[in-house]
Amino acid sequence: MRLVRLVSLALALVPLVAADVDRLFADDLPPSDRPIEQVVDALIEARLAEANVTPAPDADDAAFLRRVTLDLAGRIPTPGEVQNYLASSEPDKKSRLVDRLLAGPDFVYHTRNEYDLLLMAGKGSGEWREWLLKSFQDDRRWPQIFREVMLPREDKPDAKAAAEFLKSRARNVDDMTNDTSRQFFGVSINCAKCHDHPLVPDWAQDHYYGLASFFNRTYLTKKQFLAEREDGDLKFRTTAGEEKQARLIFFTSGEIAEPSLAARSDAERKAAEEKQNADNERETPPEPASYSRRAQLVEIALRPDPAGFFPRTFVNRLWARLFGQGLVAPLDQMHSGNPPSHPALLAWLARDAEAHNYDLRRLVRGLVLSRAYGRTSRWEQPTERPPEQLFAVAAVKPLSPMQFGLSLAIATANPAELAQWRENDEQWSARRSDLENRSQGLASHFEIPGDNFQVGLGEALLFSNAPQIEGELLRDSGDRLVGTLKTIGDRDEAVRAAFLSVLSREPQPEESEWCGNFLASRGDRPVAALQQLVWALVTSSEFRFNY
Amino acid sequence: MTADPTKLKAARQLDHTGIFFGLARLPGSKRVFIGCSDAKVYCVDLAAEKPEWKELAGHESYVSGLSAAGPVVVSGGWDGKLIWWNAETCQLIRKIDAHSKWVRGVAASRDGRFVASVSDDMLCKLWNAQTGELLQVLAGHEPLTPHHYPSMLFTCIFSADGGSLATADKVGHVIVWDVATGKQLAAVETPLMYTWDPKQRRHSIGGVRSLAFSPDGKLLAIGGTGQINNVDHLEALARIEVFDWRENKRLVEHAGDKHKGLAERLEFSPAGDWLVAAGGDHEGFIKFLSIPDGRVLFQDKAPMHVHDFEFDASADGLLACGHGNLVEFELR
Amino acid sequence: MANTYRGCCGSPEHGLTRRRFLGTSAVAVSTALAADMSVLSVLKNLALADEVKQQEKRVLLLWLAGGASQLETWDPKPGRPTGGPFRAIETNVPGIRISELLPKLAQRQHRTAIIRSLNTRNADHGGGTELMETGRGKEAGIAYPDLGAMLARELGRADSTVPDYVSMYTSTEGRHKGGPGFLGARFAPMFLDNGLMPENIHRLETITDLDHRERLDLRNLLSAQFARARDSAAVGSHNSAYSRVRGLMASDKLFDISLEPQHIRDQYGPSQFGEQVLAARRLIEAGVPFVKVARPWWDSHGQNFETHLELATELDHVMSTLLDDLASRGLLENTLVITLGEFGRTPQINPSLGRDHFASAWSATLSGCGIKGGTVYGKTDDDGNQVVDGEIGAEELFATIFNALGIDHQKEYQFGSRPIPLTNPGTKSVSEVLA
Repeated sequence: MRLVRLVSLALALVPLVAADVDRLFADDLPPSDRPIEQVVDALIEARLAEANVTPAPDADDAAFLRRVTLDLAGRIPTPGEVQNYLASSEPDKKSRLVDRLLAGPDFVYHTRNEYDLLLMAGKGSGEWREWLLKSFQDDRRWPQIFREVMLPREDKPDAKAAAEFLKSRARNVDDMTNDTSRQFFGVSINCAKCHDHPLVPDWAQDHYYGLASFFNRTYLTKKQFLAEREDGDLKFRTTAGEEKQARLIFFTSGEIAEPSLAARSDAERKAAEEKQNADNERETPPEPASYSRRAQLVEIALRPDPAGFFPRTFVNRLWARLFGQGLVAPLDQMHSGNPPSHPALLAWLARDAEAHNYDLRRLVRGLVLSRAYGRTSRWEQPTERPPEQLFAVAAVKPLSPMQFGLSLAIATANPAELAQWRENDEQWSARRSDLENRSQGLASHFEIPGDNFQVGLGEALLFSNAPQIEGELLRDSGDRLVGTLKTIGDRDEAVRAAFLSVLSREPQPEESEWCGNFLASRGDRPVAALQQLVWALVTSSEFRFNY
Repeated sequence: MTADPTKLKAARQLDHTGIFFGLARLPGSKRVFIGCSDAKVYCVDLAAEKPEWKELAGHESYVSGLSAAGPVVVSGGWDGKLIWWNAETCQLIRKIDAHSKWVRGVAASRDGRFVASVSDDMLCKLWNAQTGELLQVLAGHEPLTPHHYPSMLFTCIFSADGGSLATADKVGHVIVWDVATGKQLAAVETPLMYTWDPKQRRHSIGGVRSLAFSPDGKLLAIGGTGQINNVDHLEALARIEVFDWRENKRLVEHAGDKHKGLAERLEFSPAGDWLVAAGGDHEGFIKFLSIPDGRVLFQDKAPMHVHDFEFDASADGLLACGHGNLVEFELR
Repeated sequence: MANTYRGCCGSPEHGLTRRRFLGTSAVAVSTALAADMSVLSVLKNLALADEVKQQEKRVLLLWLAGGASQLETWDPKPGRPTGGPFRAIETNVPGIRISELLPKLAQRQHRTAIIRSLNTRNADHGGGTELMETGRGKEAGIAYPDLGAMLARELGRADSTVPDYVSMYTSTEGRHKGGPGFLGARFAPMFLDNGLMPENIHRLETITDLDHRERLDLRNLLSAQFARARDSAAVGSHNSAYSRVRGLMASDKLFDISLEPQHIRDQYGPSQFGEQVLAARRLIEAGVPFVKVARPWWDSHGQNFETHLELATELDHVMSTLLDDLASRGLLENTLVITLGEFGRTPQINPSLGRDHFASAWSATLSGCGIKGGTVYGKTDDDGNQVVDGEIGAEELFATIFNALGIDHQKEYQFGSRPIPLTNPGTKSVSEVLA
């Protein structure tokens, strides 16, 4: 609550002093050296106790393995991985699994895919995706990626793809402003464009145009390079009809002082003008502006700040990806009227991220080793299912298009071949890349998860009747699951193998019975029977979601 | 005869707010009748330094064609009417409800005996130029395009001896008729003048917009535009084909080389050694092709999209009308 | 009549077939789970058939893509420098005159309200399309649903065995799929961009109908097991999509116009647009609440009059046939027929005898359900350059459409924390054209 009050104070556009917040939380927050998972559980469970809710029990091993593999590797586990994990009796097998996943090649691919989805909605070019992959392979941290995206160097062959985020939006200041704001700072501010935000008192027109001013000098040159003018301000009309010149403002920062071109010497001004004119005609990427508003944005966004839009959004988005719901939800509504469900937890995690230079693996590891992450998604208590923001029970999360496409490829592959490819990481990395490329086509048919995610009729019709499902996924050739199953004489064994491959678990007795009967009733067409069984498994809700 | 196409120049321009679709010069004078988009026929004496636009009311829509036949001038319009005007006094002599659809063109035989009119009812009607009596109804053009849309009958022209009459439609079908009997003498196809876009925009554009017989009546020049990629615009080069129509043999295929749009009007030189074409898209053009080899003798932009023109009596000048302009060209 | 194609699925054999291959215990489980699943459905609100839905109101949008000329259709200016060559003709409603290119519609003017006073300000194809499809300007960070998705949401039924939003756009120019925006994929259009038959609606020959059905039963059984104690709207939508598959496959005949009597096919004529509108009528008749037929491409920068001679003539014929057909089947009073595009065309005639993009003063029409036919709303000046009376924008038009269907145009959706009304607060509908 105190946080709420503080952020509202910031409304007056008075820059906050960082120390205020440090003081505010210094006593409230758990010590910074406690393990992440312990802090998560302590704070989540405190809320649960307050709400008088007993959380759901742990998910079983198979469910945990599937969940954490989907979340960290972006795919279901292979049948071999399932069997190994279920067979293991090591007391620390969970943390060993998590460490293995974080160290493996899948983690960077999946991280790339998730941030590609966030920044480019899956529409980024191959070069952009390569650049993002390389960034995560090199363990570049989120502030560094933000910097490169905001201040791309198109003259550097290995870095120029970073320009795609801005270039794809450069024709529209609103797009640059709002997408940067939502994705990096967790603030949807466009409602404040035409009038002070009707629902969120924090955001006035000054804030919208203040943020847009960081982008108003950005444009594409005739040769389609990204460039930034030395001069130029946004003007807007207030609801009272008054024309106003926008001042540079970063949310709660207050007005930011900046050098003006007019104040510079004649020679400097002339040079700036000449550069500007020349930039637009250049055959090669222009040099950065001598004073860049985008550079100013990077500096101010990364500066230690009590409001902490940048670190909080980094943490909140990651939390939402793993837990199905943000600590602040919706993810782009960080403002005083919409406090986090667990303010101290968000503050602690953001501080921890900053203190450890946004170490993604460290943060992920801590979150997924918490009890809160490991609960079952079933709510079996007689009481109503608790609200999601209590994190009393695991969420059911739709797979992203690539998670789904890739998982389909793995589920329907010959398990022995999969095991061979998994033998060493280098081989698997190449195979994974190849599988991603081959899954793109199918993945393009699937919805991107977001608020109010729904499966459309098109997907159900595609699985029901499209030739590529029969011809690709359900083929009975040797490289496919169906081709393997048909060599298994025993019906129950075939059912078991199908469950392991597709659902990453053993079948329940009644499931064995149903599926066994299903196969038995098709004794005259055994291959078709297996294809239909695998079809029923890959189209099941269990496969479509991460539970 | 001193005409030299390479000497083409616009000697005089008269601006107007309307669009001029047709003109008729009166032999032996500088007087001209012009049909306009404002539903008026204007009579202008170009001998005057500041000519007066004498307004002749009678039509109810765009006046699309005009032709002089001895003492009368006949105009046709999108109102389906033909109006006979006294060339001398500019009085309206008669108004005939000639066609059930829009009249696209009017032509008179050189001897002043016949007037022909064409309309989107896909009929060519042959009239006694002096009495207004309907002599023949020439039916032979399909009312629908192959794609089931209304076709259009854009133009008609008499041979110099008045014995033959040619008509041409939207899909590039050209018919030569025997004036005396009303029978078809021949048909010629110019399918490239019609573009149907079945995929991107699903409508058509183009059509034959101009015809001219050579002085000996042997050749028939056909004008329009070429195949168009984006049928929203007249973006293809203006197209001209010349046939020996009796043999159904194409002698010249001028697919265009510079100017875009429709060839709206064609005429052979008095000696038949060259052909002049004019038209345009957003801009206008005028070009001269050598006959029979089809070589471009000269071409240039016109000040406007040209819809019609006529030679001077000596053929060393042209009077052209079109989008917002009336222009006197010199060829000497 | 409207229910002709309902009930094709949900055959009583289902229980029997399950028993045949799954054994009796499965039947018990699946029956027990069935109730649970229906509660799970995100669409349970839709299933509550409110008054609007019970009335089975429907909409057929004739989308005149590229921008039809108001001067060659609904707002002629004969005799003016901007008027073009076509006359205005009397209609069967005294005092209303429309272009002579629409003689058949002129005889059905009593069914149609003309709005002549749209000023939508955006004369760019992309922006205008987005505006006139959603009723709102584009806004960064939020995807608004289009009219079809909103009406599928308002008029569709969760358990429907027919699609609730079908969109046909065959020509490639300006093709825009539109879509549900924040309403979610449940309300995405069944999009037909190639022929009349939807994609993946037919069973492959490699599987028998029995196997196709029974593998779906197995899938549903396993999924019901999964859904137990996992209350999730997203999972509900997954099961809902699969539960509609067989019904939709059985509705393939709706798209097959060869099943229409020849005299009806002849009435609609041989053009692709005619065939699509006939298919649309079949869909409407079967209870599909929203069908859009796009007729591209009216963007007549050159040869405007010839282009409209083709396209307006076609519109005249096909729409007249449609209105008669709907009326004779008793469907017109519950079916709203709209003509609309992204904008109109300039009064100014360019040297290629074309008209260019123009959003300042143009027209749309509404016919049928909830509409006072034989009315004209709004007025442009003598040359059609400006609206002089009753100026409205996209929002007012959309509010009018909603109200004609009995839907409160201020009804709110929730997008995250933000309430979003169907049309922005303060928007008034054009009551003058409402019955």
